[in-house]
Parts: sequence; structure tokens; C-alpha cells
Amino acid sequence: MKKNKLILMAAVALLTTATIFTGCKKDDDDTPAPTPNTEQKLSFHLHTMVGSNAASYGVQYQDASGRKFDIADLRYYISNIVLIKNDGSELALSGKVLLVNPATQEYELGEVPVGSYKGFKFLLGLDSATNHSDPTTYAASNPLSIQSPSIHWSWNSGYIFMKIEGQVDTTLAANGPLDLQYFYHVGLDNLKRTIDFSTSAFTVVSGSDYEIGLEFDLLQALNNVDMRTENETHSFNNLPLATKIADNWQDSFELE
Amino acid sequence: MSSILTPFASIGAKGWVVLSIFIFIFSCKKDPAIEDTGNDVITLQIPKGFPYPVIPSDNQPTQNRIDLGKKIFFDPILSRDSTISCGSCHHTDKKFTDGLQFSIGIDGNQTTRNAMSILNTAYQPYIFWDGGVPNLEQQVLAPIENPLEMDFDINQVVARLNNHPEYPKLFQKAYNQPPSVYTLSRAIACYERTLFTGKSRYDDYLYDNNTLALNASEINGMNIFFGENGECFHCHNEYNFTDYSFKNNGLYLFYADSGRARITTLQSDVGKFKVPSLRNIELTAPYMHDGSLATLEDVIEHYNSGGQPHPNKSGLIQPLNLTPQEKQDLVNFLKTLTDKNF
Repeated sequence: MKKNKLILMAAVALLTTATIFTGCKKDDDDTPAPTPNTEQKLSFHLHTMVGSNAASYGVQYQDASGRKFDIADLRYYISNIVLIKNDGSELALSGKVLLVNPATQEYELGEVPVGSYKGFKFLLGLDSATNHSDPTTYAASNPLSIQSPSIHWSWNSGYIFMKIEGQVDTTLAANGPLDLQYFYHVGLDNLKRTIDFSTSAFTVVSGSDYEIGLEFDLLQALNNVDMRTENETHSFNNLPLATKIADNWQDSFELE
Repeated sequence: MSSILTPFASIGAKGWVVLSIFIFIFSCKKDPAIEDTGNDVITLQIPKGFPYPVIPSDNQPTQNRIDLGKKIFFDPILSRDSTISCGSCHHTDKKFTDGLQFSIGIDGNQTTRNAMSILNTAYQPYIFWDGGVPNLEQQVLAPIENPLEMDFDINQVVARLNNHPEYPKLFQKAYNQPPSVYTLSRAIACYERTLFTGKSRYDDYLYDNNTLALNASEINGMNIFFGENGECFHCHNEYNFTDYSFKNNGLYLFYADSGRARITTLQSDVGKFKVPSLRNIELTAPYMHDGSLATLEDVIEHYNSGGQPHPNKSGLIQPLNLTPQEKQDLVNFLKTLTDKNF
């Protein structure tokens, strides 16, 4: 008997819960025909290139002078993405941080209002507040959490904005094996750069998600860098070389 | 066996269910007589004359957190080959230094700076000789990732902790979360903030009005230290004998280690290092960022000489023209800063 009573109580409870949940649901019959989407998903479709070749770890490439090198790590932060509306006002995609790597092309930026945009811009690197935030507080899924391998300086709390590592042939005639590990760790507040596409107009239309196609060319980022003699910087210890690379960033990007 | 089971044999299946529920309910209830206080926020025991340190709101000290942090501090699980712990370079019997010019890390690697004491570290406004890290929580990352120290990946440390027979439970108990980069860094920092030192003969003299705690030579040394003939107090002041500023003390004309400039990249910061605390200085030889001065006598001799004419040298570093007796008095005074208890 007791058992039956319990079952009854459980059924009542379930029914009540079901009613509450159903009560929250919109009644489809009463709503008018679906209105057009006011927002659509925006993404970067971003190819990492070495000249005209897609960048890939472990593959041998040649720099502008014909010197051989490969890539073991190539990652960088994009943040402070801003869309410029037709009336000139700016729509900041606040809090959106991308950690770009050659194997990934799709980077979701979130939902944005449909309409025409004059262009966009973003920061290569991080603003000072984000750069010096505590990396241990981010969930593992956040690009600002400590990565493996790390892209954060633990001895000088701040992020490496762009990390490029691999091996290079340092023979004078550039005809030898890859004999030296090079590394370019470009960070520090002063080395963030705004990448400006403020006159690259695009239109987001209702019913269709939009992708901005971009290419980043490593050879452009290393423009005027002699990989034989200029093969390492932690930024602080070789600021001129780090600055040279950061100053190349704008020209490293183009619309696809 | 059967005799033990007999009293329960008559309970039957229904009885077992009732009993289980009964036990379940009661085991959840706290017994006021043996209440677990492990997660109560603790008021740290601060030496007399010291202010209460500022502690991050998300890492208030509890006994469970402190115990966990202490266990990890002395556990080589943090290093790649499980040979190096924090305690490898911060020995309890040397006031949390290691007595070496440069600490020895993984694979016998020599590090590039002298290990600082971590006593009274709760007061440090930034960590390391160059102040490159803003707090103790973030400091935890640096020795783990440093290729000369522990040479490991923090995410792999966390994976190790999660696979450990004890740590997951201890983290859960202390932080109500499994081991993570967040909880790992907090636990170690929480323990480090409990390490105070402030019970020396000098403190007896100053705070307990025990005028007999110091002898005549030590008092004379104290007066030189705090007077214009020694000038030491300008940087080594207050309860922790440091103002935490970055100073070039004229140790070299050319610095192999750029010091603060490593962080700021400023030429004007070359050769500047954080002013260290002088507490327990008798027991924390050798001295300076590079451990280049072996004895307190060497240190006094350096300051008495006025140092090298580096462009960034502090204006306070000038020849002092101290007599041999005054130098000895100064050394004697510094030795009164040794904590007898800890």
C-alpha cells in the first residue's frame, strides 16, 4: 500500500514538473510567421601561409632569400576585434580572444547584427589589462589559459603575442641542413599592433552566417629578418628584432 | 565470522534498507564534539609590530589549504623527473634559502640567481629579484616551467596530481575542486603566506622594550644602520627591512644579469634588483642577486667602498668611511635580526 502511495506521489511530482516546463515553452501556434534574423554568426576563415604554401609543422620551407627552415610552433593571439558600421560607429566584440594556429582555419567571433559594415580591425596581441591578467584563473577551454606548450611568460607575467619556433639552415651559402633552433617570442605591451581593415567593406545578410576570409603570411612577418643571424628573441633581450617582426604584422595579413 | 553476523541475520532485506537509510542520514550529520574546522578561515599569527598582510579573497587561509600547500611545496612531483621540489632550494633549516651561490635545479643545472628566502613573502608586492611576477599565485608557474629548475609543463603537473592516490581528495577538501592550474597555484601560495619571521633579539629590543637584548656593539651598529653614516635604512626599512624598491647598488660596472631591465627593457633599469629583506641575514649567505658576496663582512665592505660607478647606481651608495670597529658593529647588529624560533 505504502509503495502505491509513493508511486502516486512521484507521478504527481513529475506531472507538476512537466507542467512547469511546458509552461515556459512558447506556444508556436500563437506566434506570427518567423521574423528575419537580426543577427548572424560571424567568423574569421584564416589561412596561415608561408608565401604561397599552407603552413604546417615539420614541413621544410624557404624564406625570401632561399634559406631553408621549418616550423615547430606558430601561434598568435588576436583580440579586441572591432567592426566598423556604415555610420562610422564601432561595434567591439568585447572579450573575444583567438589563439590562431596553422591547423585551424575557422574562428567564430559570435553573433553580430545583420547589415553593411565599412570594415573591421583587430589587435595582434592583447591589451595591457588582458596581457597581465592571471592565466591560472581561466578555464582550460579559454585560449588565455596556460597552453601546452606555454605561450605565456611565467617569469615576466604576460603573454607571448606571437610565438614562432623551428629550425633553420644557418650555413653562409644556405645549402646545409637545418642546424639551429630559432625562436621568435614577440610580446610586451608595446609590441601589440592594430591590424587595420577599416576600409574592407562587407555585408552580413539575414539567414546566412558570414565568414571573413583572411590570410596570414609568415614570410611577410619575417620580412627583412635574416634568419641566419637574427634567429632568437624573447622580446626583452632582443627588442629591435621583436619590434621588427611586430612592425611587419600589418602587411602579413590580407583578405582572402 | 558467523557469530559476528548473527545479530544482523534476523534483520532481513527490508531491515537492511531501513538501516542503510538510517546510517546514511546520520553519517551526514555533523557531530558538534568533533566538528571539522579544516575549512574555517584562519587568522594568521603575525609577528609583533607587523601589519596583517593583504590576502586575495579567493585564497583565504584554511588549515586544509595550508596543509595541502605544504605537502606540495615539499613534493618533487612538480618537476619533470620528480627530483626537484620547492623545498629543494628553500630549506627550512636555512631560513628557506639553500646556502648556495646559485641554486641547483633539474639535471644538476645551475640557475642564474641566488635563491631568496621566502619568509615574510606574504608582504612582497611582486615576486623575484626583478619583480617580474605580481603575486605568489602566479609565481608558482615560474619554477615549474623554468628549464633550469623543474623544466615541466604545468598542465602535465595537474594531470599527475589528478592521477595521484591522495591529491584529488586533498584538493577537493581544501578548495572543493579537483587539482587544476588554479587550485595548484592557490594551494602553494596559501602555504607560503603562512611563513613569517619576526622574533629576533632586535624585535625583543624594539617591541618588548628589552633594553638588555642588544649589547653595546650591536646598539652602535643599529645606530649606524639607521643613521646618516650608514644610510642602510633608506632602503632596508620597516618591519621587514626592505622598501621593496629596485636599486642598482653599484655591484658592477657591467652587469651579466640586467635585473629589472629584463622586465621593463629600460636602459635606466639595468643592474637594478629588488631590495631584499635583511631578516635572518646571518643565516642566508651568500649575498646579492648573484650570491657573489660570501660573508656579511664582504657586504659591509662593498657598501663602505661606495661600489662601482654605474650610471644607474643609487645616489645613496657612496663611500662611508667606516672604521673597522664600526664595520664590526654593523655586522653584529645584522646578526641580531636572526629569528630564534623559526
